Amino acid sequence: MFEPFTDVIPSFFGWLNQGPLTLTIFLHTVIILPMIWIYYQEKKRLENEG
Amino acid sequence: MASNTLNESKQLATWYFTFAFILFGAQLLFGLVAATQFVMPGFLFEILDFSVARTLHINALVVWMVFAMFGSVYWLLPDETGINTIGIKMGKLLYWIFVAAIAVVVLVYIFVQVGPADETTIWFIMEGREYIEAPRWADFGIVVVALGFVANLFLTGMKGKQTGIVTVLMADMIAFAGLYLAGMFFTDNISIDQYWWWWVIHLWVEATWEVFVGAIAAYGLITMIGAHRKVVEMWLWIEVAMLFGSGILGMGHHYFWIGTPEYWWEIGALFSALEPIPLVAMFVHVLYDWGKTQGAEEEAGNSASVINNKPAFTWFVLNAFGNFLGAGIWGFFHTLPQVNLYTHGTQFTSAHGHLAFFGAYATILIGMMYIAVQGKNNIKVLKNTKSSIWAVSMIAGGVMGMTVALTIAGYVQVLVSRAQMGATWAGYFDGQAGMWFAQGMDWRLVMGLVTFLGFLLLAKDLLTTGKNPVHER
Amino acid sequence: MANKSVWSDNRFWQRTATWVTGFAAVLLIWLTFDTSAQISMGTDEDLKQGVTKRVPGPTVINYKIEYLMDAKRGHEIPVIGGKNAEGRSAFQEKEKFFGRDDWTEEEAGALLHLGKLGSQAKNCMNCHTLLGNGAYYAPDLTKAWLDPAWGPEGSLQAMTGKNTKEEAMAEFLQHPSQYPTHERMMPDLGITADEAKGLVAFLKHMSSIDTNGFPRNFGKIQGAVHGK
Repeated sequence: MFEPFTDVIPSFFGWLNQGPLTLTIFLHTVIILPMIWIYYQEKKRLENEG
Repeated sequence: MASNTLNESKQLATWYFTFAFILFGAQLLFGLVAATQFVMPGFLFEILDFSVARTLHINALVVWMVFAMFGSVYWLLPDETGINTIGIKMGKLLYWIFVAAIAVVVLVYIFVQVGPADETTIWFIMEGREYIEAPRWADFGIVVVALGFVANLFLTGMKGKQTGIVTVLMADMIAFAGLYLAGMFFTDNISIDQYWWWWVIHLWVEATWEVFVGAIAAYGLITMIGAHRKVVEMWLWIEVAMLFGSGILGMGHHYFWIGTPEYWWEIGALFSALEPIPLVAMFVHVLYDWGKTQGAEEEAGNSASVINNKPAFTWFVLNAFGNFLGAGIWGFFHTLPQVNLYTHGTQFTSAHGHLAFFGAYATILIGMMYIAVQGKNNIKVLKNTKSSIWAVSMIAGGVMGMTVALTIAGYVQVLVSRAQMGATWAGYFDGQAGMWFAQGMDWRLVMGLVTFLGFLLLAKDLLTTGKNPVHER
Repeated sequence: MANKSVWSDNRFWQRTATWVTGFAAVLLIWLTFDTSAQISMGTDEDLKQGVTKRVPGPTVINYKIEYLMDAKRGHEIPVIGGKNAEGRSAFQEKEKFFGRDDWTEEEAGALLHLGKLGSQAKNCMNCHTLLGNGAYYAPDLTKAWLDPAWGPEGSLQAMTGKNTKEEAMAEFLQHPSQYPTHERMMPDLGITADEAKGLVAFLKHMSSIDTNGFPRNFGKIQGAVHGK
């Protein structure tokens, strides 16, 4: 499953870069996930105000 | 705009717009010189070489836009915050310092051009780094002026009404000013050099400037068609999230080939691939708000247009579309590494550069100039004139024509110089000799002339608006 | 009426914008630390120990540099000092640069410093591209050192009447308009003999930077993709 490292110098981000999408999917996910938390928090606030 | 005397902040804004417009003209003139040199290589050889003309072309571009951006902020601050701009005296002083510094830098570019390979050249003649060539002494001047501007914005924003637009501008402008510092050092390592150089260039034009445009578009919609602030500001926050969300890491698309690690391929490709999305959203937003307010008026039995400044609104709509087309589509063309490997550093980039800077920034800043002309002359409804229509058509048509010509020239370069010949000296000139390339360059010059004629008409229209009786007062 | 939707709530979008911007900025800063470490310039010791750096030290000018296809990475890489069994830099084979292959770290560093300053002082970037960035009025300089035209059988070396690549390049840089290759010429920029030497060192060093395979197929005009 894990590809051998190809870039010149090994690094954390280089390691996450396993295939054509792994690194960017990871980064997009960690950016978007907390928005769900923000969503429910704001929903609760709107309900309380309503 | 109830009083007849122009608010001081707005007066300063008109100064900024005026100088910006002069530099805009200079940008086009030096662009024409450089375009002519592609067609006639002997033109001004060893007098005003291509490198000098191009330095002036792109520096005038950046500086006129910064001037018009500062002007736009000084214009909208009193409207948004409801108070007079704080520190306007300092603002005026800084304006003159800025203008004087630019005059000196330009004269040195034209008459000194290059210097010996030592630090004095970097400090006093030029830094030789595309877009931020200004010598180091001028860098410090720019930082001082930018800090003064940011201070005025913050003091006014914190004391007056802090609307969503002002909040976004405050955050955006401090980042804009701070990022300039990333371009103020010298290193022997060209990879490190270009790494930080892009922090200035990319994080300006693909992040902070874009957010600035979002804020100005929001202000324009409220002022020109009376759009609902709450709706406009909600859009603005969505745009900020999407622009910064894609634009900040989208910087990776400049880190494919400068010595930086391979992981940037993936980050750069997939974040910058998302950059067009907010630009589509902005276009939809402008048209949607226009239709909505006009529809509501018609419902109320009022068939008059809701737009109180036709030329400005034309430029704003052109901005929404041009941003999407120039920055979005033409940017996406070559943002994936497998394409960029061949297009990087060809006329493709140049085509994108022309349409993106025009579509995303020139348009909306010209729109702001029309808003300023309207306010300055106490005009209730500013109408289109023959010259305003011809100006916008010729400028937009000219830039689009240059973009298409450069794109076609770029094809030849990509196919011949890059894919086949691998970017050698011989390969480069084989590409330049291609018929499509040569004709592309001819058409670019023709379209550049069309753009310049449009600029002259625009100047005429802006200067005569105050006395033109067709506008409603 | 039902509760107002979160999707049309300004505060939700404001907080989202703040989060996304802040986190993207933090990631960029983190990535910058990671990348900065990887692109810091190597040393003479690295070259002697056979440590591959993305940006080698200035003494790389003492070595032979090639640009060869790497099967594992799928693109061309700079190969310094001949290739080893895996086809990568062996750091063995030297090459004379202005008659010497024993430039010390200080000497080579000073030469590179002069060359980099020169590249900026002469505004190279507003005609040429360096690492693909700049203007498009003149050839890309990323791998200019490896251009066959400057090599022993190359037309540019022959034109200047010099016997080595570095002397030919330095001669051209000092008197560019005396050696017109095309109607479009390089102007005389007042480059001195010393500056020219520095600029050539800068170009040789730049050709040793690992640019992830840019430009592709450099100098492989004859034959197919991997042909020579």
